[in-house]
Amino acid sequence: MARAAVLGRLAWLAAEVAGAKWETPRVRTLELNVPGWADHLAGQHLDVRLTAEDGYQAQRSYSIASAPGTTLALTVERLDDGEVSPYLVDEAREGDGFEVRGPIGGYFVWEPGDPTPVLPVGGGSGVVPLMAMARSRARVGGTAPMRLLYSSRSLEDVIYRDELEALPGDGFEVVQTLTREQPAGWSGYSRRIDPELLAEVAWPVADEPKVFVCGSTRFVDAAADGLVGLGYDPRWIRTERFGATG
Amino acid sequence: METSDLRLDGNAIGGLLNELFGAELTAAPCVCGGCGAREEIARLDVYVHAPGVVVRCRHCEDVMIQIVRGPRRTWIDLTGTARLELG
Repeated sequence: MARAAVLGRLAWLAAEVAGAKWETPRVRTLELNVPGWADHLAGQHLDVRLTAEDGYQAQRSYSIASAPGTTLALTVERLDDGEVSPYLVDEAREGDGFEVRGPIGGYFVWEPGDPTPVLPVGGGSGVVPLMAMARSRARVGGTAPMRLLYSSRSLEDVIYRDELEALPGDGFEVVQTLTREQPAGWSGYSRRIDPELLAEVAWPVADEPKVFVCGSTRFVDAAADGLVGLGYDPRWIRTERFGATG
Repeated sequence: METSDLRLDGNAIGGLLNELFGAELTAAPCVCGGCGAREEIARLDVYVHAPGVVVRCRHCEDVMIQIVRGPRRTWIDLTGTARLELG
């Protein structure tokens, strides 16, 4: 990545909510205006800091959902006992402000010019940084074959549902599994990701693909271990685990 | 919540490391002082629920980095890190 993006201490910047969209009953996307923001790479995250009237501060990390070069967007899942996510999902209104710093991360990033076949694997809101990759690919006309494997509990929990129906084509595919509840006529998978499912979906080992896995620790470990079991080199697999605090 | 939920990875401390060192470090290779394994910080196990941050080797589970923040001072223990490589 560019050296300029590596060196230099990040500053907290004022962010203003410019728009909001419900993705599921628990998940909302916030578009942000952040004067002074440096453009990000697909896969990076940022830190959000909220400051209460009494000065108490709470800080959490959220993946960036938007493609580089477009309006900065976060997609946040409400964790009911969280300190930050209930505000971002239920309370924040257009014009509201808080602080952000970023973009953060130089490891879990994908460049849309890379032609290597890529397998993004997301569990729940772990799909967010992977969506930034898919959007980035679509935006610049990337040629890498990309197959997104996305696991949700039910159809109601699928984030970016409409966009995931519209995006496929030109070498981009979506394979979904619903682990808890499936609608009548569901044609995707109906179970948690396991070695057999991965064997059917993953690119052949000979392709030496790049893999990005994001989700809970258990999800990430199951997917990564399964792929290594298929013969994937662990170096091909980049993972990002989500915490249980929000 | 189960113990496995508490195990994150080095991506989770990218912002903190930037704040302390003034650089993006999640992609920086780091050599374990215990077993000698060399992995990017993003590939190390990170626990943020301890008092402070604990970074462990993903291979031998030895503690490689500990970071404890106080109101006016931050303690960074690198005893378990043999080498950190900056790009």
